[in-house]
Amino acid sequence: MAKLINLNQILNMSKKLLIYLILFVPLLLLNAQKNIPNIPIETFRGTYTTMSKELNEDSFYIISFWATWCVPCINELDAINEVYDDLSKEMDFKVLAISTDDARTKRRVKPLVNGKAWKFDVLLDENHDLKRALNISGLPHTIIARKNQILHRRVGYAPGEELGLLDKLKEYEIK
Amino acid sequence: MKSNKPFLFLIFLFVLPKIYSQSDSFFYGSFETNGVYYQESESLAYDKKFASNSYLNLKYNLNNKFVFDLQTESYNPQPLQNYSDLLEDTFVSTFSINFNTNNFNITTGTIYEQFGSGVLLRTWEDRQLGINNSLLGIRTSYKKQNLSLVLLGGYQKKSNTISEGKVFGFDSEFTVYENNNTFNNLVVGLSYLGRLEAPHYVSYPFNDLTNSFSGRLDYNSDSFYSNYEYVYKSEDGIIKDEVLSETFVRSGNAHILNLGYFKSGIGLDFTFRRLENMGFYSERVEFGNPYFETTLNYLPALTKQHDYLLTNINVYQSQPNVSFQDPSIMKAGEIGFQFDAYYNFKKETLLGGKYGTKISLNISKWNNLKGSYDYQNENYDLDFLGFGVKYFSEQSLEIRKKWSENFSNIILFVNRYYNKKYVEDSFGEIDSKIIVFDNTLKLKNKKSLRFELQHLFTEDDKKNWFGYGLEYNFNFNFNAYFNSIVNYENEIAGKPTYSNFGVSYSKNANKLILSYGKQRGGLMCFGGVCRYVPEYKGLSFSIISSF
Repeated sequence: MAKLINLNQILNMSKKLLIYLILFVPLLLLNAQKNIPNIPIETFRGTYTTMSKELNEDSFYIISFWATWCVPCINELDAINEVYDDLSKEMDFKVLAISTDDARTKRRVKPLVNGKAWKFDVLLDENHDLKRALNISGLPHTIIARKNQILHRRVGYAPGEELGLLDKLKEYEIK
Repeated sequence: MKSNKPFLFLIFLFVLPKIYSQSDSFFYGSFETNGVYYQESESLAYDKKFASNSYLNLKYNLNNKFVFDLQTESYNPQPLQNYSDLLEDTFVSTFSINFNTNNFNITTGTIYEQFGSGVLLRTWEDRQLGINNSLLGIRTSYKKQNLSLVLLGGYQKKSNTISEGKVFGFDSEFTVYENNNTFNNLVVGLSYLGRLEAPHYVSYPFNDLTNSFSGRLDYNSDSFYSNYEYVYKSEDGIIKDEVLSETFVRSGNAHILNLGYFKSGIGLDFTFRRLENMGFYSERVEFGNPYFETTLNYLPALTKQHDYLLTNINVYQSQPNVSFQDPSIMKAGEIGFQFDAYYNFKKETLLGGKYGTKISLNISKWNNLKGSYDYQNENYDLDFLGFGVKYFSEQSLEIRKKWSENFSNIILFVNRYYNKKYVEDSFGEIDSKIIVFDNTLKLKNKKSLRFELQHLFTEDDKKNWFGYGLEYNFNFNFNAYFNSIVNYENEIAGKPTYSNFGVSYSKNANKLILSYGKQRGGLMCFGGVCRYVPEYKGLSFSIISSF
């Protein structure tokens, strides 16, 4: 086995990992309250807005990072769209779908959103400024925020999870 | 970049929060690691070896005014197969200090930026492809609703070093007309990018400074939009036979026209693009390197980006360059178009059924630039709107249908032509048809099952493929999958089969994936950018976490 895997190298790497963890884990505990950074972001009309302008109302926001080529992202947003009308009667929340499509697929965003008749607002994060600022590495990535304050984050989507997300919203509403 | 400076920066990062302890100040970051134990690999350097890529990114937000950013990367004991050899050991990869008010922003250190659609400049990170072509320098921007101005300059990151060439530029966008009642607006954009690199040894017949410009017009209304961009790159040497030519010197240009129409339930989009000699690098001799080191612009293939295993065989990669590899394959760029249509058949209609039906159609066609090519004299003369040899064409139709509360599926048809000879500078042409059935069944108690069938029909190249996949979600957090593709008509290589089994666990913004299997080698494409990857069999793990 020692020949198959260089144990020393793995040990070495584990040591480095451990150092990282010892150094950085306490940092994570330092601050619980995190905000959505206020950075400029492009609207559907080619003009700019800022995240603080978009998140200015005193309500819950479901912020979903997606892309036109990401099948689970579309599944999630289609599913949210299905239940949106019924649930927005029950409670006050807004959905912001942040497209991370770059120059390759960005032109497809507007026709796709309309073709699917999604009812929520879409913003364009073409060169991933917001995605990078929030340290998002996998799609879909969904954030529940109240105003600009992050309450919950979630990577990935499993069928039916849109209802789980809404349950989460209800939990926070009671709090 | 291997110096103590980043560590001073780290101390800075730790000390500052103690000085200012405002409530709006906080740490956040992400950690990602991807490791593979290569049980078997086509590449000898990896056979029976372990490799991993890890990324730790930390940011400190100070009172929503300053953001300090530091990324450390580790490639131990070696980077994953087909990442640049320059990536070794552990090093500080990117770092920046960013000052931000509502409209004004200044960044020193690592800069990610894009001008227009990226044909002039795009610096970005793609970990799957191993691209990080960010600039190390200074950038200032002023952005408000109807105005955007960016000014930047610096050196380009080249794995764990920086480029020799300097890069500087500005980008501007103005809304010149706006009517809020009719939702009409017209946005004008102008950009400049200069690349200064003095080539060694020889006095070349072109300037050290290459100037490039982009002008664009963007018109939007409540149901129609159009966009046109023109890019020009001044005369520069062409790389021929992997050497910067002393005699072959040409300028480059790009035209991109985009038109779209939409209303609720329908969306149409058409894009025309013509690229001529548009490859642009901060170090000229890095032209065409497989790791995209020092690439300055983003010229992705404008085709449908697929997400299924068999649809990702014979994927088009854009052809923006002058390439005189061989008198029988001479290229100067590409010309072509792409059309997309989305339509929603409403609920309770004949085709919509109880839950509605969504369809999307994509048509694309890309050709070489038509003209006369002279191999001997290193020259070409092009017809502006002429379509030369066909590189690629595709028609695809996707139907998404929900049949009941618990069952839905996606059916995808693809008809594709791929000119392997021209696109990969090899030989052969491939006509193929692909069909995919992707079915999702929701079960009780947050469980669900997804099963997938795929077939690729072709008489060419490696002949027919069959594929299937199963994915079971035990709950919203835990899932297991198995997929397999078989090249069952490939008699020469003995019916290659690529099967993979994996489990994944995700909780909040953390995900852990463990998988074992055999990966197909060949051209792997993410986001329209492709790279060759040798075939391998092994055990992989992946951790991603945002905090």
